[in-house]
Amino acid sequence: MKPLLSFILMLTLAVSAAHAQTPFEQANTLYANGQYAEAAEAYRAILADTPDADVYYNLGNAAFRQGELAQAILAYERALRLNPAHKDARYNLEFAQQRIIDNIEDNRSFFLSQWAEGLRNSLHERTWIYLSLGLFWLMLVCALLFAFGRSAALRKSAFFIALTALLISVAALCNAASLHHRDTARAEAVITQGVVNAKASPDRSGTDLFTLHEGTEVTILETLGEWCNIRVGNNIGWIQLTNLERI
Amino acid sequence: MKRIVLLVATAVLSLTAWADEVVFQCNAPAQVIVGKPFQLTYSVNQRARDLQAPPFDGFDLLAGPYSSQSSSTSFINGKRTSSFTLTYTYTLMAQREGSFTIPPASVVVNHNSVSSNGVRITVLPADEQAQPASTGGRQSSDDSRPQQQASGSNINSENIFVRTIVSRTQVCEQEALLLTYKLYFAGVDVTQLTNNTKLPEFKGFLKQDLEQGEIQTQLEHYNGRNYNTAVLYQTVLYPQHSGDIRIEPANFEAVIRVQTRAQVRSIFDDFFGSYTNVTRALTAPAATIHVQPLPAGKPAGFSGAVGQFTMTPSISQTELKANDAVTLKLVIRGNGNMKLIKTPAVDWPEGFEEYDPKVTNDFKTTVNGVSGTKTIEYLVIPRAGGDYTIPPVQFSWFDTDERKYKTLASPEYTIHVQRAAGEENQGQVTNYVGKEAIKQLGTDIRYIYTGPLQAHTARPVLPGNSMWILLLLYLVPALIAALLFIIFRKQIRENADLARVRYKRANKVAQKRLRLAKKLMQEHQDAAFYEEIERAALSYLGDRLAIPTADLSKQNIEGMLRDKGVTEELINEVTDLLSTAEFARYAPTSGQTPDTLYQRTVTLIDKLEDQRI
Repeated sequence: MKPLLSFILMLTLAVSAAHAQTPFEQANTLYANGQYAEAAEAYRAILADTPDADVYYNLGNAAFRQGELAQAILAYERALRLNPAHKDARYNLEFAQQRIIDNIEDNRSFFLSQWAEGLRNSLHERTWIYLSLGLFWLMLVCALLFAFGRSAALRKSAFFIALTALLISVAALCNAASLHHRDTARAEAVITQGVVNAKASPDRSGTDLFTLHEGTEVTILETLGEWCNIRVGNNIGWIQLTNLERI
Repeated sequence: MKRIVLLVATAVLSLTAWADEVVFQCNAPAQVIVGKPFQLTYSVNQRARDLQAPPFDGFDLLAGPYSSQSSSTSFINGKRTSSFTLTYTYTLMAQREGSFTIPPASVVVNHNSVSSNGVRITVLPADEQAQPASTGGRQSSDDSRPQQQASGSNINSENIFVRTIVSRTQVCEQEALLLTYKLYFAGVDVTQLTNNTKLPEFKGFLKQDLEQGEIQTQLEHYNGRNYNTAVLYQTVLYPQHSGDIRIEPANFEAVIRVQTRAQVRSIFDDFFGSYTNVTRALTAPAATIHVQPLPAGKPAGFSGAVGQFTMTPSISQTELKANDAVTLKLVIRGNGNMKLIKTPAVDWPEGFEEYDPKVTNDFKTTVNGVSGTKTIEYLVIPRAGGDYTIPPVQFSWFDTDERKYKTLASPEYTIHVQRAAGEENQGQVTNYVGKEAIKQLGTDIRYIYTGPLQAHTARPVLPGNSMWILLLLYLVPALIAALLFIIFRKQIRENADLARVRYKRANKVAQKRLRLAKKLMQEHQDAAFYEEIERAALSYLGDRLAIPTADLSKQNIEGMLRDKGVTEELINEVTDLLSTAEFARYAPTSGQTPDTLYQRTVTLIDKLEDQRI
């Protein structure tokens, strides 16, 4: 009798504990217990309501633990879209990318433009806009100081500050616009198929040009029916839309 | 006296020792043939009587028991040894084939009943005498070597051959099988085997030879005939790869004694018979073993062990001081390819100094394969204090009986290591610490985020129609700035106009004030006069130099005058005047008369007017 009672007590406690947890905490518990598939499902259910960087990050981990490299990379990328300052997501993304089979030799872009792209991706679109606005306003103040400053030194420094602020402000606005374009066009995608051959034409009978593996990130140039023209490094070819997923 | 007692004692002892050793044995061949008589003997090494023989069920008693006795005495190095044997002989014949047990017999020795051992006899069926007609044909085809064929002898492949016997032909990789080369002969007299034996290479197998004792012959019924057999060579084989593996034929050479009857040289030859030795090459046929690969699903710790094993783990101590040694001992006992068992890897905690494990093998090769124990001793020395956990050591093997992989694991040992004596502070402080960089042991993804959600959600960058708002956020401040620019500019221009007016009116205002001062001087209102004089000078300079009234001070005026390039003499005059007026205002009794002060002011303003400041 006694064990039964204690069992019922424990059961009710467990149930109440489960009720007290938020769906996110429940999913984290599943992950901690090693039930990665169930945890991934739970994270996806949360994301269906509100896309959140941390949830995407955890989903990426759950997918990675199950060996779903493409899904993990997608989730990490999405987490970074929402919060570019998510250090763990960036670390895990790089870790996952080391496991991709394809090694993309990108000699198309100059190292400076690669650096610029990295800089662009390191901040959120919102942050870039705020930066741009702030610097623009600073520029206006400095311009007024330059026009009406009493001493020559003040006017001189105001001029340079205004000039620098204007340049950075324009650059920040460009970055914001670029990010905005990236997020609205959604031209970047991840290969979800294990192995896929890119064709020379949007047709099954087209010549095979090159082979891509799961997890590789590609840029969609155009779509035509079920097919899309993609660019990977210096290679351009057609693959079916079902073989990839947009970030 | 003492010596005699000793002598008697030894004699009695030796006598009793001799008397105790009653050996009563039953000897019979292990295999007999139906219808062929054989002898069964009971021998006892002491005088005995009343032999109670058991009933020989299944056998016909042809003759017996005949008793015979023999005794011998020998002196070796002055020591007398005597032996005595009493033998009862029965001649028996088996009635039917099968396996029979003859129960023990008993005999009375020195009023004691002694039992013999029981004997087990296998009765083989009689030869089927059907083949002789075809022997000639086979002989000619089989004989590859010219033989000294003696008349009357019948050396052919029916009568003498070597069989290749494998315990099984379907095995798994690494599963033991027994290979036996067995000589069969009947009706020929094989005296010995030459050294001219050529065994195959057993490619694809790991070979473990069995200890070969003296060659013993046994009767065996094979293909309807009874043969004398002898095991020539026996080995345990472990296939090393899957597929069909062929064991090449083996070659032996036997020496056969043949009676020659061709020439009778003397009467003794005929009487004793004359014999010649003939060698005959014997070939054991090839055999093919079908080796199946081990099934899929090998456990992580599997390193090729196949058979039946048990593992006994033990640890020397779990409570120790740093720098003391710990020994983890694994005893793997079993039957299988023991030689190929790899030392399981142990994942020692960090800070443990590990040495090469000591492996002791104690194997014995039997017809069932190699069995025995393999003892692996891991010696480690913890170098720092703390509680450590030694993860389980896993040993996996393939169970040939149950056809599946099995894994044994040692328990997880928890070791409590106390800090070494030297590690504790003993009055003196050492500053030296062996610093180590963080050791990278492996890489993995970072753990999930478990804190509260911080709402890095996909909310829009700017509320509403963001493009317009963004444009406004740029344009409105720009417009405000432009507006401010215009306002400031206008104000500056206006200020500039005011200064010009003040400049133009400066002299006029000063003259007006001076006139008022003159009037006050005449009315002898000294305080008001000095005030008016000072104000006239100050307002004149302020207007001329475009200094706001609030900023009017001697220092300012002096600086501005100097900037305008006024001579130092004039500047001194201005400051002197200003200070005199100020002074006189508060202390009217000073030396300057109002009249001279008035004159000085008038001339100074005239001079400044001339300078066109």
